[in-house]
Amino acid sequence: MFAAILRTQWKWTRGPALLGFILGFAIPLLSLFSLRSTGIGFAAANVVREMQQYGLLYAVLAGASGLTCAMLSWGHDHRGRHVYALSLPVTRTRYAAMRLGAGAIFLLVPALGVFLGAVIGVATAAIPTGLHAYPFSLTMRFVLASFVAYAIISAISASSTKASAYILGGIGAVVATLFLLGIAGVGQDAVSWIGQALFAEHGILSVFTGGWMLIDV
Amino acid sequence: MTYAVETEKLNYTAGRGEKAFHVTDLSLHVPKGAVFGFLGANGSGKTTTFRLLLALLKPDSGRITVLGESMPEEYVSVLAKTGYVPERPHVYPSLTVREAIDLHRTFYPTWDQKWADELLGEFNLVLDRKQSALSKGEAGKLQMLLALSQRPELLVLDEPTDGLDPVVRRDLLSALLAYVNDTQATVLISSHLVHELERICDWIGLMDHGNLLVEMPMQEFKNGIKRLRLASAPADLSNAPFTLLSREEESNGSQQWLVRGWTDGMHEFFTGRGATVREVVDLDLEEGFVEILRSSRANR
Amino acid sequence: MFDNIDSRSPTPLYAQISSRIRVAIAAGELAKGAALPSVRSLASELRVNPATVVQAYRELESEGLVATRHGAGTFVQDVGAERRTRDRVAESRRLVRDLIAKAATLGISTAELRKAIDEEIKR
Repeated sequence: MFAAILRTQWKWTRGPALLGFILGFAIPLLSLFSLRSTGIGFAAANVVREMQQYGLLYAVLAGASGLTCAMLSWGHDHRGRHVYALSLPVTRTRYAAMRLGAGAIFLLVPALGVFLGAVIGVATAAIPTGLHAYPFSLTMRFVLASFVAYAIISAISASSTKASAYILGGIGAVVATLFLLGIAGVGQDAVSWIGQALFAEHGILSVFTGGWMLIDV
Repeated sequence: MTYAVETEKLNYTAGRGEKAFHVTDLSLHVPKGAVFGFLGANGSGKTTTFRLLLALLKPDSGRITVLGESMPEEYVSVLAKTGYVPERPHVYPSLTVREAIDLHRTFYPTWDQKWADELLGEFNLVLDRKQSALSKGEAGKLQMLLALSQRPELLVLDEPTDGLDPVVRRDLLSALLAYVNDTQATVLISSHLVHELERICDWIGLMDHGNLLVEMPMQEFKNGIKRLRLASAPADLSNAPFTLLSREEESNGSQQWLVRGWTDGMHEFFTGRGATVREVVDLDLEEGFVEILRSSRANR
Repeated sequence: MFDNIDSRSPTPLYAQISSRIRVAIAAGELAKGAALPSVRSLASELRVNPATVVQAYRELESEGLVATRHGAGTFVQDVGAERRTRDRVAESRRLVRDLIAKAATLGISTAELRKAIDEEIKR
């Protein structure tokens, strides 16, 4: 059963997964490349700054990867209003677990790209003394981040259409409110409080912020 | 008699307020091995009933027993032995015929690949064509192939041939009847093609506005509904052995009655009351169905 | 042979099927020893419930016209010329009975009907 589900999942996800692989492979190489081309040379401080700037790209790719995989693992069931899945002789939980598991496996493809790009990039670059390369922990962070995005989006889209609409609507309302408050200059505390809760060191989405360092001290 | 499907006072409401649709006190009995036809206008509750039987919907009250097990609790065990062809094809449209079969069969331990291959040939389905590229008839045939290849004990078919051309209908029904002959499986089939049901069903059920109006062997239903032409009508109708559905006065003074539950010998009832039955006319299933609906709605 | 099986007719389907076979035997179309189609194939071909075919075959068997050999199928028995004639006569009378009944509902008198029959036969 799982093998068959995995096969259908591959059919739906292979395009985006391959694209994710190529992008994942490119980002570390690009980050090291730009150092060479600007002729700045591999001064330690410049390297660290360059790595920090590329951090955003990793975060975006991880998020997009998680989002896409989640939507592709549930999209077809959702469109058919789950009639097919509900008519199968498996418990709802088991089916959901198989679907989510199959989708999650494909998260590893872009991560593999990141790993290979990082390893190759680091191998061909001359790292200044005092700095070290962390291709493995970079990849691990990528896997974790894409997984978090996957889990959140899956939770939303696996629920019924009505529930999804409520959740997305709720998030949209909160974002809109914060935006308006921001313009009015009011409630900055609320914004920073939410920002803290989500993105600060122990927040839920903290894995996305800071620390995407391929090369660091 | 053992029943493949049995419901007891099943109640279900969809929607709210004025637009709500109610299935009311539905007590359905589908004998094991029967080909049970389900007739009813659009919106009468046939699809809703099927969904309730298969645990796709949860009833408000009442008992459902399918293949001896309680639904919706035992849905895993029951669905493993049930083949379902819904109103609209439900397998993922982006999959090819081959992929759909490869996916579906992993869920059913009783899957018969030899039978599936035979049906592929009979139905003339191209393995590598995407489902979304199939014609309506081909999609219908694929759904039937998937349901039959499971070798189920029960088949629940929601309008499987409606809207399809006669050649496709013939192919579908041939395969279905061959399967029934080989396995004594029970079939619950709904359709608007009354004459088709008339040929293949040995039991008939009629639904209207969420109520089951009729449930009986096909031959009994057809034999029991008659149009009577009377020279004059008896004044006293008490203790009539039949059910009067409707009556019409004709221009020449005679009357035309529609009755249900008529058997030979009921002429006696009239002679004793000074009336004569000129003629007893048989009605086919479609006419009977229309008349029952008409009288049921007139009495609402 | 079975093109005109009509679910709309007042005659039950099984009776229509057995009638066809009875006539075919009476007319000599189905000879002694000929095999009737299997229940599966006939039900499938006519798109009728297999039980209907079984009922038709059983009726014929009870009349001694066919015999079912377990596992082999259903075969026409040696019926004899006299029996065949009798069945042909019975079938013709049934046809005529239906015709008369139908004519009556249309308001055609037996005299008119008889005249029409003679004229059609002449043609």
